[in-house]
Amino acid sequence: MSHRPLRIGHLFPDLLNLYADRGNILTLTQRLQWRGHDVIVDEITHADTPRFGAYDLVLLGGGSDREQMLVAGYLANHRTELRHAVEDGLPLLAICGGYQLLGAYYQVPSGEKIPGLELIDMVTNYSAGQPRLIGNVAILTEEAGVVMGFENHGGRTIHQGSPLGKVIHGHGNDGVSGLEGIRYRNVWGTYIHGPLLPKNPRLADAILRTMLQYAGIDDTLDPLDDRMEEEARRSFVKLRMPEVEAALG
Amino acid sequence: MLAIWVGKLVAWLLRLRGHDATSFPGKIALRFSPNLLRRFGRQLERVIIVTGTNGKTTTTSLLAAMISQQENIITNHKGANLIQGIVSACLRESSWTGRIRAKTAVLEVDEATFPLIADSLPIVVIVVTNVFRDQLDRYGELDTTVEKLFSAIRKTQACLVLNGDDPLCRHLGLRASRKTFYYGMDRATAKVSARKQMRDGQFCLQCGHELSYEGFWYGQLGLYRCPACDFVRPHPEFLGTYRGHTLTLAEDLVPELELTLPVQGLYNAYNVLAAASAARVLGLWADPIHAGLASYSPPAGRMQSFDVGAPVTLNLIKNPTGCDSVIETVTSDPRRKWVVIGINDLAADGRDVSWLWDADFEQLAEDEHVERIITSGLRAHDMALRLKYAGIDTNKIGVIEQMDDAMDKAVAEAAAAQAAVYVLSTYTLLHPAVHTLSEKVRNDESQTLAYRTSVS
Repeated sequence: MSHRPLRIGHLFPDLLNLYADRGNILTLTQRLQWRGHDVIVDEITHADTPRFGAYDLVLLGGGSDREQMLVAGYLANHRTELRHAVEDGLPLLAICGGYQLLGAYYQVPSGEKIPGLELIDMVTNYSAGQPRLIGNVAILTEEAGVVMGFENHGGRTIHQGSPLGKVIHGHGNDGVSGLEGIRYRNVWGTYIHGPLLPKNPRLADAILRTMLQYAGIDDTLDPLDDRMEEEARRSFVKLRMPEVEAALG
Repeated sequence: MLAIWVGKLVAWLLRLRGHDATSFPGKIALRFSPNLLRRFGRQLERVIIVTGTNGKTTTTSLLAAMISQQENIITNHKGANLIQGIVSACLRESSWTGRIRAKTAVLEVDEATFPLIADSLPIVVIVVTNVFRDQLDRYGELDTTVEKLFSAIRKTQACLVLNGDDPLCRHLGLRASRKTFYYGMDRATAKVSARKQMRDGQFCLQCGHELSYEGFWYGQLGLYRCPACDFVRPHPEFLGTYRGHTLTLAEDLVPELELTLPVQGLYNAYNVLAAASAARVLGLWADPIHAGLASYSPPAGRMQSFDVGAPVTLNLIKNPTGCDSVIETVTSDPRRKWVVIGINDLAADGRDVSWLWDADFEQLAEDEHVERIITSGLRAHDMALRLKYAGIDTNKIGVIEQMDDAMDKAVAEAAAAQAAVYVLSTYTLLHPAVHTLSEKVRNDESQTLAYRTSVS
């Protein structure tokens, strides 16, 4: 394809890299390259100034509480710019700690509040004594059918927006609402890693389609040979979450 | 008393039937007497604890081999490092009345288990090998692991033997405020790494600034310094110089020791350095250290070799950093090779398999001598998918869920092609694999013998 290379901004890969976000980047870049698109991944560390106008997609991953606190500090100066970019339709994928950062704050067990980016009306609380929500997870989404993976978070996230999906197996946002993640404009926020995208190719392609549209590139994405992905999904569900099998269709 | 009888009886029955008795007897005995470990602990004079993410098993075995040159000791084998494994080790060395036939114990302890046992035993020395990313779903996150270690250390009076090249160990040492000995490699041997790898402790735990490195050994182990505060790699009391097959141990005013490495690879050189440093702290002189190294045979699944028609090398993989060094060993072998990768997701393996995506399987894609990769285990399909996205030709990838069948196929194909086989597997697949491969070696030997007898 003869258009400019697509540009993915990976925010703080040096800090937020706890749950194999490399797998998400790899999935996005491979699935673009297999369809003939050039793609560049910009790793934005704390020493760089993020230019949110220059990216076609931004990825914000997960880290430990300490690292998340550092990121919150670095991003505080760029909050307004990122908010404008998101309102203009910048695609943003935020996972685990990155998901929590989208809201107003994340209160850790010590009572301390890690300030968020305030992109979305959302808060996260992790009270002392509460168990972490850990385990395999599967949700039913409108845009990509069953999305599956692993979750591991102490924080309980509460928002009134549209969730990414409804929990079929696992805990989701807070362990009680039956909802998981958030969808807002072109933002995807979720606790699901594993990593998220390799075993959820429909979601990966939905994100890529949004990204191409945002970049002004006309491509609806031809299907790829996803037999290995399908096989991995089916065997995982059969082994660990048999009640999800029916939803796979 | 009942608990000891039951435990010993269970161990005896298990061994009679050819089963592994490294954990289960302790588990049963603890059900009868939850306080059993404390009772054993009261009879011991000194306990040396080895903990950390990678290298616990090897370091423990090496140190145990050195100390046992001089006295009878208790040690837990085969990585049985939870409470039940430690109790099983004590049961093995105790009489039917519960008397222990040793005064010293060298114990490998899992980081999460350590705080639970720390005040039950007379711990005099604690060795921390390193703190890497390992089994996050069990511990929460890396910071939690550091906190667990710290809370355990605080319950003891022990002095510390720490890996000074690891910033997370250095952080533990600074916070523990007690006698601490650091070991580390000679700074001239550090390298500037070209390949991007996961570095877990790359931010200063004192002030949060990014650490700057003059050089690396592997993972986050290197010559680190915080540009914003005074956090810096300490000058090691025990200095190692690694030269492939030997490790020179230098120590202030003491003649240097030239140690022969019983196991290969830089990460094993670190294990030898850790064990020899701890031995020195415990007052051992050169002879038992040399003799211990010479008598050491690698534990199951650490670069263990089997000749079963094709040469097979078996290795444990359990986290990105350890896995990367194993993959490096595979790709540095110039022979043509078949690779079997077995991935399970049971509790002891870690239920979250996302770490596979942090490990550098791309190295296998760059090695043209890798002919075929068979993935196996409960999460065989996840592993296959990882390889596809690593850029490995999907025609080279096969899935055979049963590990024995996967190894059979790899060995048969490699034997026909006169190639080598590497088997990489997570914890719960490892011991069955050792068992199967050992059985094969025995069968081959008896067949060869039968053949020879018939022609003579």
